[in-house]
Amino acid sequence: MSDFSELHDELRSVAAEVLGARIGTAVPGELLAELGWTGMEVDDDLGGAGASFRETAVLCEQLGRAVAGGSFLGSAVLGVGLLNMLRPGELRDGLLTRIAEGAATVAVTAGTEASDPGRIAFDGALLSGRVGLVLDAGAAEALLVPVLGPDDRAAVAVLARDTAGLNVTARQVLDETRCLADVSVDAVRVPDGALLSYREGVEAASIGDRALVAVACDSLGVAAAMLDATVDYVSMRQQFGRPIGSFQAVKHACADLAVQIAVSRQLVGAAVAAVADGDPSAHRAAIMAKAYASEAAVAVAGKAMQLHGGIGYTWEADVHRYLKRATLNRALFGTPAQLRRELTSER
Amino acid sequence: MTDPQAFREQVRAWCAEHVPTDWRATQADTSETEFAAFQQDWFATLHAAGYAVPHWPAEWGGGMSMADQVVLYSELAAHDAPRLVLAFVGIHHAASTLLVAGTDEQRRRHLPAILDGEIWVQGFSEPEAGSDLASLRTTARRDGDEFVVNGQKLWASGGAHADWCLLLARTDPDAPKRRGISYFLMDMRSPGVTVRPIRNALGDSHFCEVFLNDVRIPEANLIGAENAGWQVAQATLGAERGMTMLELAERLGNAGLRWLAAACPPGDAVAADRLAGFEIEIAGLRGLCADLVERSHAGTAGAADASIVKLYYSELLQRMTDFGAELGGVAAHTVLTKPQSSGWESGSWVLDFIGSWEWTIPGGASEIQRTIIAERGLGLPREPGVA
Repeated sequence: MSDFSELHDELRSVAAEVLGARIGTAVPGELLAELGWTGMEVDDDLGGAGASFRETAVLCEQLGRAVAGGSFLGSAVLGVGLLNMLRPGELRDGLLTRIAEGAATVAVTAGTEASDPGRIAFDGALLSGRVGLVLDAGAAEALLVPVLGPDDRAAVAVLARDTAGLNVTARQVLDETRCLADVSVDAVRVPDGALLSYREGVEAASIGDRALVAVACDSLGVAAAMLDATVDYVSMRQQFGRPIGSFQAVKHACADLAVQIAVSRQLVGAAVAAVADGDPSAHRAAIMAKAYASEAAVAVAGKAMQLHGGIGYTWEADVHRYLKRATLNRALFGTPAQLRRELTSER
Repeated sequence: MTDPQAFREQVRAWCAEHVPTDWRATQADTSETEFAAFQQDWFATLHAAGYAVPHWPAEWGGGMSMADQVVLYSELAAHDAPRLVLAFVGIHHAASTLLVAGTDEQRRRHLPAILDGEIWVQGFSEPEAGSDLASLRTTARRDGDEFVVNGQKLWASGGAHADWCLLLARTDPDAPKRRGISYFLMDMRSPGVTVRPIRNALGDSHFCEVFLNDVRIPEANLIGAENAGWQVAQATLGAERGMTMLELAERLGNAGLRWLAAACPPGDAVAADRLAGFEIEIAGLRGLCADLVERSHAGTAGAADASIVKLYYSELLQRMTDFGAELGGVAAHTVLTKPQSSGWESGSWVLDFIGSWEWTIPGGASEIQRTIIAERGLGLPREPGVA
């Protein structure tokens, strides 16, 4: 355990140093690879670090702290996560190696809009359908398309970006740090050898939990960064002859944010462990973490804007980037209300 | 006194004829110049009907009864009319300041000009004087029958288009901070005035910084007595809050609620419950605004009444737009523009939500409003150490 916590501390401090200088900007793929982040969960013998979702989660939180852009979430978290769920083979292993090297990125056609996730159907030979607002699909070299075959067997079709009949249309969002794209396929034949099966005992749906928890980690990072920035600002900003943080109206607001972040951290920590361990409770834990932490982050970033006053509302201040990211995170893969409904229906 | 129902019919007929039906489309993603031109046109259209400054005294072109004004604003909102954004400070704040504290000459100079489209901006806040406005540092030094002004103002909304500025500056640096401030009418075309837009959280630039470098203001443009500016500002700030808030409440209750209802998934009991909750809150807000209008008119408004309305409206707006942003899901984030000339209930939810901080921060942030309600409204002891 202590080994892990040392490793995590080191990851955290490297990430903070690298990302601290790039707040609100996209981290280039080469840098992500050079740092070993894209290959974090890729097996050692495929050129990766062979680490677990626990380490990925540390990075997700740090990327949220820096509202960093780049393809990490879509490719290194979801893409690698999905590929690791598949049986080894030339295509899969090659992609993992290329991702670890920084030579390629992939995207998973998982709809981020829970109320309208879209669907790509597979009739045993051809793929057809549409999935809207897919993370990091625009620049991906290959798309990983989870499908259900005619025999109801789950599998993943791998489509090269330049496949005829595959259309990827970038969709601009207010949060400039995220890249989303609509993906549509019109009667696309799955190339030979490009329909990959899941490993024995793997639950195909568990990729959804990974997505929820990764976003929850990001939101936790967003919230933590906003509380830190707010505490710094209200300690320094003078009005009425004293730091505004000395007023109870301000300090109690900060205290409330700290409490929400502490609760988020508990729920997110439990969900990270459950997902990393493949625990049967992972789905519930993921829902709880995403529902709470993503909502809390909006509240924290919003209060941060309020307590920064007019300065916080300017473009130059980074608060708006955090508020936009927090608000988008809240919507990705299901809003808190949608997730809570799922929790209720599972009872 | 008109028959209220007859007046309502009259306004409805006017709206049907004059409210541009396509303004939301044409005002999305428009340039600052086009926006200003549209605002000037809309102002002239309203003014021709007698609807631009109904709250002014009859002798200056207003004179509408309170009851009719309530009808007017509710119908304009019901017909989804554009907002008067550029003229706002002029017809409300500048006008009430002139009417309460101006000389006859100042009124004659400016009130008709405002009706002809003179744009005003407020020059109150400074980098070091936000919530603590009385600590402002901009100085106005008397030089014969002129004042020489130096300093920097912040958050001047519409500053790039403004002709005139309501300016607070320190005329007696040795007096206690609220007793050494004077209130001026400043021509924005005076030498030494530099306006620089501030890019806001949404990437727009309607807020400006105004730099004042040896700007000369004639003594005749002093409003109220020298060193009595703080008292003038107190007397005129919020004088119009009742009716302006009523207009905003109507907009929230019309377009705002309508867009939200449209975004609620059918059969979603949780969303329906929240929507019903907002409907109730809007009814409460409308009541608060109407009450404030009446009590302001009768001179019986309590010291915290305007603060209650401002706090409640701004936070309700924030909660409603937050709900809209959540209901809109990921797709709401692909809506990158909001029509100009709308309020923050445009249905571009994420933008509306972020824009809602334009209500909870300026004009006395929510924290300040709560302090006013607690201290001036409830009579609680003042916070220690605050002058």
